[in-house]
Amino acid sequence: MRNVIRLVWFDLKPEIKPPVWILIEWFTFTIQLFIYGAIISQLVKAQAIGNYQQFYAVGFIVMMTFEIGSHAGRSFVEHAHEGRLPYLLSLPISRSKLFLAITLQGGAELAIMLTVPLFITLTLLGNLTAFSVVAAIASLFCLGFGVAGLMLGLSFIAFKSSDMYSAIVTGLSTVIIRFSTVLYPLMFLPQGYALVATLSPLTYGADLVRFLLGFDPSILLNPMYAVAVLTALAVSTLGLGAFLLQRLVEGVKSG
Amino acid sequence: MYAVETQNLVKRYGKAYALKGLDFTVNPEEIMVLLGPNGSGKTTLLLTLATVLKPTSGTTKVMGLDVTKYPTKVRQILGISFQDARGFWRHKPAEILRFHAAMCGIKKGESNTMIEQVLKELELWDARNKLFMHLSGGQAKRVEVAKLLIQRPKFAIFDEPSSQVDLRGKRTIWEKILQLREKGSTVLVATNEVREAEYLADRVTILDQGKSIVCDTVHNLKDKITGGDIVELELEQTENGAEIQEELNRIPGTVKLMPLEKGKYRAYVSIGEAWVPKMTSLCYERKVRVSSVRVTEPSLDDVFLSFTGKKLETSENA
Repeated sequence: MRNVIRLVWFDLKPEIKPPVWILIEWFTFTIQLFIYGAIISQLVKAQAIGNYQQFYAVGFIVMMTFEIGSHAGRSFVEHAHEGRLPYLLSLPISRSKLFLAITLQGGAELAIMLTVPLFITLTLLGNLTAFSVVAAIASLFCLGFGVAGLMLGLSFIAFKSSDMYSAIVTGLSTVIIRFSTVLYPLMFLPQGYALVATLSPLTYGADLVRFLLGFDPSILLNPMYAVAVLTALAVSTLGLGAFLLQRLVEGVKSG
Repeated sequence: MYAVETQNLVKRYGKAYALKGLDFTVNPEEIMVLLGPNGSGKTTLLLTLATVLKPTSGTTKVMGLDVTKYPTKVRQILGISFQDARGFWRHKPAEILRFHAAMCGIKKGESNTMIEQVLKELELWDARNKLFMHLSGGQAKRVEVAKLLIQRPKFAIFDEPSSQVDLRGKRTIWEKILQLREKGSTVLVATNEVREAEYLADRVTILDQGKSIVCDTVHNLKDKITGGDIVELELEQTENGAEIQEELNRIPGTVKLMPLEKGKYRAYVSIGEAWVPKMTSLCYERKVRVSSVRVTEPSLDDVFLSFTGKKLETSENA
């Protein structure tokens, strides 16, 4: 287990020393919430939503989770191309421990990035309790792992063409975010859009976090349904990631 | 028991074969050099032995352990220095080496001393706290090699250990690899540099298109090729040059005579010491002045050419 922690710390260290990216993420969140969020909440007046700035704050955290999860998946591909992955694969630890270390590193990065945004959001909602912190983190982690796994699943394309991979991931990200309930509740979406939005993992992530933080359940998806989808997504895509590490990466010449 | 043994090893990337039924062995505590052009399967073989790649079929054993059945145990006894030292852009050499030593189970006190020593020996001490992305190609390569010098694995794999490194640095790296072997490591080096192979090898395996063409000591390989010696001679130009050439060709022991520029020849002969006196007698009788004679051994490049029909360091392969 020591080697797993060493690996996690070795990869995490450059991210937090100096913590430039983390500070920029926190700064972006603060600006988005207190300038854009504050102004847009004056324009959006829907009784079902209440304060749109609060709705938007949760949505923005979910978007951040998606970005960080995507980044973790993409990093995996970049590491394969840069020659870092072959080095990790040659280290004297088992594949399962290596996969655990990669997963924990992604999780730790997610936790660090979300600390301040989550604290601000919960304070804004007036709901800074142990339960809300744990519940929000658990559902966001599920979503983050699911998204990272999804990007890993697409990584096989990158071994053929990294340009095609980047194009597909960018296009997919656009669709997954816009066709979801991150920025607007499902009940406000036209029927066609709503149907597509139920295919987006962000819909389940956003609605579950909002439910756990006390938003009106009538504008959200059934939380049990959301828990089931997010768990299935995280388990299946992480399983896919482990499979890829075991089978695909070891059989594909990279670098 | 062999330190490394492969039997009918096949590695395929899609439809392309990188290794085509390779039979290969390395004895304990020897330095085996894999010589071959780019694309000959050297790196694929190294990565398969290091358990980074899985073989498509065949048997591969390291210190008696099957790499597919006991990959973690295999990784615990070997170390690999990769061809491209990349991927740690935002780390510093000292950090990378400390991490590597810790992952390989070397205690902190011991590793700190070794890291300092190796960094100084490889002239990396002043660069130890620079970011990896700011190192030159040669420095980055030396960091890659340093990992194994600190780890001192039972089985050390080097993929082109001195590429991008200056001449003095090359010599240091080669000396350190020889020392590794002296301390009991089995070493496998892949290269397409003839000088590196000649300096390091106890035995050489020539790989071409995923197959082992020949394996022996450098000396034996040179003896194996037809025309064991090369005689380069320059004769004073005469009117009967064509006649002389024909007569030189008829000297017993001449394998092949290649005319170069005017009056210059390269003769591949069985035994240089026996051939040269016959040649000088012939020239004396025909009243042709011999301007210069040079007897040389064939290089590994000649050996490679002889066994594969290709030059080792062509522009395509370089």
